[in-house]
Amino acid sequence: MSVQTSTTALKASKIGVFAFTFGIAFTILYTICVWRNWPLFTYHPAVNKLDLGWHPGRSGEGPAMHWYGWLALCYPAAAVVGWVATIISSRWLHRATMFGCVLAAPWPTVFVCAVFIADRASFDAEFLKSIWVSAIPAFMGAAAVSYFVPSQWAQRLWSDWLLIVPIGAFLVLGYSLRPLFLR
Amino acid sequence: MDILFDMISVQTFWKILLFIHFTLAVALLAAVTLQAVAVLIPARQTAGNFGDRLGPLSATSCAPVVVALYVPQVLMGMWIYTKYRIYVRIPMEQLGHWWIVGAFDGKEHVVAIGIALLPAYWYLWRREPLNSEYSSLRKWLTVLLALIVWYAFINGHIANDFRGVGS
Repeated sequence: MSVQTSTTALKASKIGVFAFTFGIAFTILYTICVWRNWPLFTYHPAVNKLDLGWHPGRSGEGPAMHWYGWLALCYPAAAVVGWVATIISSRWLHRATMFGCVLAAPWPTVFVCAVFIADRASFDAEFLKSIWVSAIPAFMGAAAVSYFVPSQWAQRLWSDWLLIVPIGAFLVLGYSLRPLFLR
Repeated sequence: MDILFDMISVQTFWKILLFIHFTLAVALLAAVTLQAVAVLIPARQTAGNFGDRLGPLSATSCAPVVVALYVPQVLMGMWIYTKYRIYVRIPMEQLGHWWIVGAFDGKEHVVAIGIALLPAYWYLWRREPLNSEYSSLRKWLTVLLALIVWYAFINGHIANDFRGVGS
């Protein structure tokens, strides 16, 4: 079956487009939210309390749980992204998916490099520790890749992101747990 | 809930939930492992052996079972998770079992991503023809889901051994 035929078949099935995009989008959003500590809310199970956004555990109120907050933020957000994917053209869908997936790699990489430089620079380079500063080259790089990559490649890769992105996310999330394993 | 707690203790209630969680986990593990083996073992020509029975048909019929078990299993896990956070994780941290804490934190991540992959998994098994160009994607997505379930099961089992049913 040719790529064009399969894309047409999948285009006809909006469920397929939604399902694929939802899986990819959730994985990227979830990894970013865990990395940046962006839960929708914080739950304190010992006292059955909710706080909007990220909060540390308060003294005498037991531990704080952020996992529910990450899920509550990422599942609806991924569903919205999945819905948008069903209403845009397949050409835009492939390009946008390529952009999102490529962006997920250089953004944290540039950020880690920027923090490394900021910690060792002889001048005041604290501004490099902002994730938005590292977002600029990452966005530009991802935009360039998704613009210049041949459309056949973008088509072929589109469904493969469903495997590539979770495996990459597992590596990033596993690395983020490193402090626990190195104690 | 108060009526229920008049009949059984709070501790027994949570142990029953944990046991249901375990039972669902075993069923899910069996279904997804069977399916992963079926997609990994190529179809055999000789009739009547075990490999034959793990063909594409049984792999297809496993998909709704996996989805039907995975979702309530995660919901059950989310419910029990609050008790883990208070009564299991804190003693783990106090005793310095950081490897188990880290591995269990990894479980929450892989399970969350696993449930997000379920719509695509279901779509590939139920809506796409078996011999479509997505066969390879379907195969590896099934294997990935099986690895996720195995990882979650082993970590849940370790956490249970630390402080769960029977402890």
